[in-house]
Amino acid sequence: MHLRGILAIARKDIIDLVQNKATLVGLLLPIFMAVLFSFINSLISGTPTRLLIYNPGHSPVERIVSSAFSAPAISHATSPVEVEAAFGPDGAHKQSSYALGLIVPPTFESDLRAGRHPQVQLFLNGDSIDTAQRALLTQALTDYGRQVVNPEPPLAVVTSTINPPQPSAFGQNSKAFFVMYVLIMAIMNSASIVPGLIIEEKEKKTLRMLLASPITFSDIIAGKLLVSLAYQMLLLTIVFLTMQGFIGNLPWLLLFIFIGACLTNAIGLLIGCLFNTTSASGAATGILIFAFIVPALFVGPLGQLVEGQSFMIIVKAIPVYYLAEGLYKALTGQTAVAAMLTDLTVITGTTLVFFGLAAWSLRHQAAVASSI
Amino acid sequence: MEHQTGPELMIEAHQLRRTFGQRQAVADLSLSVRRGEIFGLLGPNGAGKTTTIRLLSGQIIPDSGWARVAGCDVVHEPLRLKQQIGIVFEEQNLYERLTARMNLRFTCWLYGLPEKRIDEVLTLVDLRDRAREPVGKFSQGLKQRLLIARALLHKPAVLFLDEPGRGLDPISAHTVRQVIRRLSEEGTTILLTTHLMEEADQLCQRVAFIVNGRLVANDTPRHLKLQHGKRLLQVTLEEQQDHARRLCDITLKLDDVSDQQRLARWLSEGKVRALHTQEASLEEVFFHVAGVPLS
Repeated sequence: MHLRGILAIARKDIIDLVQNKATLVGLLLPIFMAVLFSFINSLISGTPTRLLIYNPGHSPVERIVSSAFSAPAISHATSPVEVEAAFGPDGAHKQSSYALGLIVPPTFESDLRAGRHPQVQLFLNGDSIDTAQRALLTQALTDYGRQVVNPEPPLAVVTSTINPPQPSAFGQNSKAFFVMYVLIMAIMNSASIVPGLIIEEKEKKTLRMLLASPITFSDIIAGKLLVSLAYQMLLLTIVFLTMQGFIGNLPWLLLFIFIGACLTNAIGLLIGCLFNTTSASGAATGILIFAFIVPALFVGPLGQLVEGQSFMIIVKAIPVYYLAEGLYKALTGQTAVAAMLTDLTVITGTTLVFFGLAAWSLRHQAAVASSI
Repeated sequence: MEHQTGPELMIEAHQLRRTFGQRQAVADLSLSVRRGEIFGLLGPNGAGKTTTIRLLSGQIIPDSGWARVAGCDVVHEPLRLKQQIGIVFEEQNLYERLTARMNLRFTCWLYGLPEKRIDEVLTLVDLRDRAREPVGKFSQGLKQRLLIARALLHKPAVLFLDEPGRGLDPISAHTVRQVIRRLSEEGTTILLTTHLMEEADQLCQRVAFIVNGRLVANDTPRHLKLQHGKRLLQVTLEEQQDHARRLCDITLKLDDVSDQQRLARWLSEGKVRALHTQEASLEEVFFHVAGVPLS
């Protein structure tokens, strides 16, 4: 490997990609999508989340709960009855303008420190708060108890939910869905960059010129991969910043992004080696785009709507579905390994298979490259 | 077949052989080229010219035989070889969206060269004023000059030119030939392939004919023409007929004894007004040697 050669290839390819207007539009598409989805999401979730809180003792619990929402609008109740009246019994269906109600007893903090098992009451409106958010809120309160009285908090959280979340409620976790979808597009794009860069060198016979210079076939491929990875990094950063996408469980999110990037680059290498002309690779790239975009649609809110339909068996047979699902789960804050295991196993296995195929085809390609 | 040895030999090939499947592309090819020489490899399409260049430039490995170019073994020293040679490919393989200067900058990055060298080679091929234009807008001739410039950036000791005159108009072809001659004068060894006999005749100090992968002749164009031409002499005689002087042209065979005697008699009689040798063209020589037309 020659670093100078790898960097030379990468620099040339970046300049060439920018000069290629047709490709440039495709490469910038995920950014347009990020801006568009961000705008749509702001329309959906633009209204503030109304919270009704009874907290005469000014417990920090109020701050912890309200910080879970991007735009909380807090109303203070004068009595616990006012909060109970706004919500009603657990599981009821009721028209309520509040998303969350909270009753914190006046002596909550002192009782907590004295180990007297004080109780906070949490009322949730399923129309506005989904199951994942509910779990996060409960966890946040428990964590607060641990922080004050370590290790076991003498704290009881009583939760009541009205309008329990329905699977058909589109709009819940819309932001996570949009971020996941744009991430899938951004990851997918490199599967078209890499073969494009390799095939163009073969098609225009510049590969022969490169191989006559003091660099090797491995340097050329490494240079192309470097461009693809740099593009993915740039794109993901832009997507995250545009959509404020650093939500959910970041380690899981980054893991799935990494595996997804490995998968698309391996597929890109395979296509780049198998085909010698852009037109021939076009069909393969088309199928690839279809295989990435369609399964991702059925993850999250839309997937819940059509769960159980027979065509979902076909959708779930496409490995990319599990990449999308893994990303979505990570974005909605799911942390349990058991919940992620299927997605992780399927997508890691698929990536390894494609890496094996790519390695085999690269070896073959290196042997015949100078005669292409 | 000529095979020389010595320190001034920049290209040496011995019994090179390469097959593709059942087809023998190059068979027992031996040749040598001296420093600063322009050597032409001539032959019809598919004769093995490009394969020979690819073997000598280390792009493909021979099945048997050996070759040294600029002192480097083409099989065992590929990286050192690549620093010593420049190649102008048959295809005009340039990055068409990039400017001429950018194409050359990329080559500088590949070889780790200072970018000031770009202006030197652009001046050499007379392309400085077109350097900022995308290569896609260039004519065939301009692209060919840029290809030569690219191949010269790292000052190679040996330059391989695969069909340098193909598809060029007469003016562009003339410019390219001038560049090649200048490079030869500066000491660059040049091996070019062509099926244009006139180009080879004008440029090359030595030529070799290749047919079905085999070298069938290897000499200077002049020697080849003398060796394989018909050795005819056109004699212009002045004769007295019916009180009037008359000029007539007669063609004699130099190898024919009776024609030699006739010429001696006419010379002694003072009848000969002019003598012209009738030299064969390289194309005729090729046809004579190879027994096949060029294309």
